[in-house]
Amino acid sequence: MKNIFITAFCLAAIAIAGCKKDSTNNDQNTSASTEQNVLTDFAAVLVNPNYQDIQAKALIMNNAIVTFNATPNDANLEAVRTAWKNTRAAWEQCEGFLFGPVEDFDYDPTMDDWPLNKADLDNLIASDNPLGVADIEQLGTTLKGFHAIEYIIFGVGGTQKAADITDRDKVYLASLGQSLYNTTTELRNSWDPTQSNSFTAQVVNAGKGSTRFTTRKDVFLALVGSMADICNEVANEKMQTPFAAQDSTLDESSFSHNSVNDFRNNITGVLNAYKCQYGSATGHSLSELVASKNTSLDSKIQAQINAAISSFSGITVTYEKAIYSQQTQVKNVQAAIRTLKETIEGDLTDFVNTNIKD
Amino acid sequence: MKKFKITGLLALLVLFLVECQKSAVFPEDQYDERLSAGVATVFDATSKAFGAAFPTLSTYDEYVHEKGDQVFSQTFVTAPAPIHSGLGPLFNNTSCESCHHNDGIGLPTAGDNRSSLLMRISLPGADEHGGPVAVPGYGLQVQDKAAYGKQPEAKVNLAYTYQSYSFDDGEEYNLRTPVYTLSNLYTPISGSYLLSPRLAPPMIGLGLLEAVPESQIVAYADPNDANGDGIKGVANYVWDVTTKSIQLGRFGWKANTASIITQVATAFNQDMGLTSKILPVENSYGQAQDDGMKDDPELPDSTLNAVKFYAQTLSVPARRNVTDATVKRGQQLFMLAKCGTCHRQTLTTGINVAFPAVSNQVIHPYSDLLVHNMGAGLADNRPDFKADGQSWRTAPLWGLGLYEKVNNPGYYLHDGRARTLVEAIMWHGGEAEQSKVYYAHLSKADRDAVLKFLYSL
Repeated sequence: MKNIFITAFCLAAIAIAGCKKDSTNNDQNTSASTEQNVLTDFAAVLVNPNYQDIQAKALIMNNAIVTFNATPNDANLEAVRTAWKNTRAAWEQCEGFLFGPVEDFDYDPTMDDWPLNKADLDNLIASDNPLGVADIEQLGTTLKGFHAIEYIIFGVGGTQKAADITDRDKVYLASLGQSLYNTTTELRNSWDPTQSNSFTAQVVNAGKGSTRFTTRKDVFLALVGSMADICNEVANEKMQTPFAAQDSTLDESSFSHNSVNDFRNNITGVLNAYKCQYGSATGHSLSELVASKNTSLDSKIQAQINAAISSFSGITVTYEKAIYSQQTQVKNVQAAIRTLKETIEGDLTDFVNTNIKD
Repeated sequence: MKKFKITGLLALLVLFLVECQKSAVFPEDQYDERLSAGVATVFDATSKAFGAAFPTLSTYDEYVHEKGDQVFSQTFVTAPAPIHSGLGPLFNNTSCESCHHNDGIGLPTAGDNRSSLLMRISLPGADEHGGPVAVPGYGLQVQDKAAYGKQPEAKVNLAYTYQSYSFDDGEEYNLRTPVYTLSNLYTPISGSYLLSPRLAPPMIGLGLLEAVPESQIVAYADPNDANGDGIKGVANYVWDVTTKSIQLGRFGWKANTASIITQVATAFNQDMGLTSKILPVENSYGQAQDDGMKDDPELPDSTLNAVKFYAQTLSVPARRNVTDATVKRGQQLFMLAKCGTCHRQTLTTGINVAFPAVSNQVIHPYSDLLVHNMGAGLADNRPDFKADGQSWRTAPLWGLGLYEKVNNPGYYLHDGRARTLVEAIMWHGGEAEQSKVYYAHLSKADRDAVLKFLYSL
């Protein structure tokens, strides 16, 4: 009888212990102050400087266009092209965290819609539209932004010479440059911490008054989601569409042959988002948060991001050529990015869901 | 005594074990209220929650869904073009996503790149199928954008008048009443015409709504109010271009569309000027803006089908906070106010062995898919088959609590006139008048409980 009593007691104890497992253990969670530091630095060290950089580089491009229009020679055209590529690099990097105003106010398609509406563009140039900045801003998104500028300054196949660019093209180009700069300014202002109602405040005050993010976890999920989205877009759309169709005209930056740089900069944007870095500055990062609880996961993610970025060095020709002549290398890059995407969608998202509680 | 002790301990043990079981995720004897879409529910409460595929898709189905997703987000351009060709010449927007931001409800503006409001147009009367009568030179929808150099059919103008009201306890709310007009008509319209604004609706759960047996929907209809509860409910029977027959309407703000494939083909054709095998004639056919190109159908069948499959397999987010006492209270009040008579919590999908993800699922759309008279305030005064000029389909409420997150700030009702859930409730009239009045006279705490319940959806 005593045995039954003891057995029953033990069973009850086990049952109680079993139940207790469900209760939260504070040690399981990342610390609130670290989470807060990561959010603060995400805005201060990465997003704001990245957007400022895009704006600064768009201004340089705009000035280069003015110079070219005043003195239209090949050297000045080359300066516009370089400025375009530099602006583009900063822009593609910020696509590693494509959420907030850039999405809410369509700054992304306004600057970077694709494909170019070539049929409409020809009609536009041939029309009597004055092509002023205000006229450009009335146009659909496939007639302005990076790819319209790219088409004018590089031309199909990248063969454009200064002499090929007509007076009408120049008027259009000047307004396109100014319009793009205006949009980069709006984008930058939307996060400007010195302006009231900036998106920086929404992020930094997540879980304590932010109307957009009721918890800090919401910001982290938005960030991790956008990191996975850009991996998917690069590997499964931007790279895959021209590759699967074996048609280089389906390639996004085919006029400038800049696609490989675009792709690499997108994944660099993922690295920046994970490590909270821009230029030489670094801050408290998601990486740090992960490492505080799971160093092997952090190492794995860093290794996969770096592997994806370095895999691009396998492609030694333009992407327009690589889809025909370097198919193995293209597939290697896609595989590396897909592996990273799986980890972000799986382990990293699980980590955020499990460890960030408020 | 010993016996008593043992019995007591064993009873305690059982109690603990039962308590443990309480926290099990899916008790077999009852359905989990969080599972809005049965096995097709997704546990995601982020701004991307409306874009998730059914979690149960096979690898191949996932691939087709992804293909559809790509087309859904891609921008179309004027033909001829090497890629994404065929936009227009007349259209309302250049991609699906430009109206259905994040697969959610649109932005109630007209004419901008992000605008998600379109205007249906017709002449008074009914056509041979009982539907609206097309306006010569315009058809049944106003395309307010055009390829460069072509003239849009018209400009849609939207103006609001604002009026403040207050609840019994003094809390104020403000309703804005829209007035819609057309200007810059490319060609005059002789006589009077009818307009009806439609905001891009959320894309979630469409495959499940399509899988609800017709008999179940029709069973809830009470067109003559036989039970005398003041709530009727009419099944809209509409002309379906895909099957070339009269079918039960399920989709659209007036339930004027029978199936997802028809909805998708119509949106491509009317909203974007893209022809398909189902609607192979341009929306501008016979008009001055027609491009005269013999490139129809512009969309390959595979593209059309992928987008249809995408729309069919978008999941519904799970409810949150279902055990919260205030949410429970709100749910109780929602039922006491008879909101649930039209916004039916539960429907069951039919058995479909070919597509298990939508087969035999208990779902919680909070809709009966019937059209109801909603009063003069919301009326568009434009009949659409069996839906008269004051009738609207019961909007499914699943996902409602995430509108603000998915489409910051989030709008409600067929034309997005309501900026908050309170405004949306207070716009109800007609068959919903008694429910609105019930809500309006609740205490502040109870009104908030109803809202908290709605936010849990």
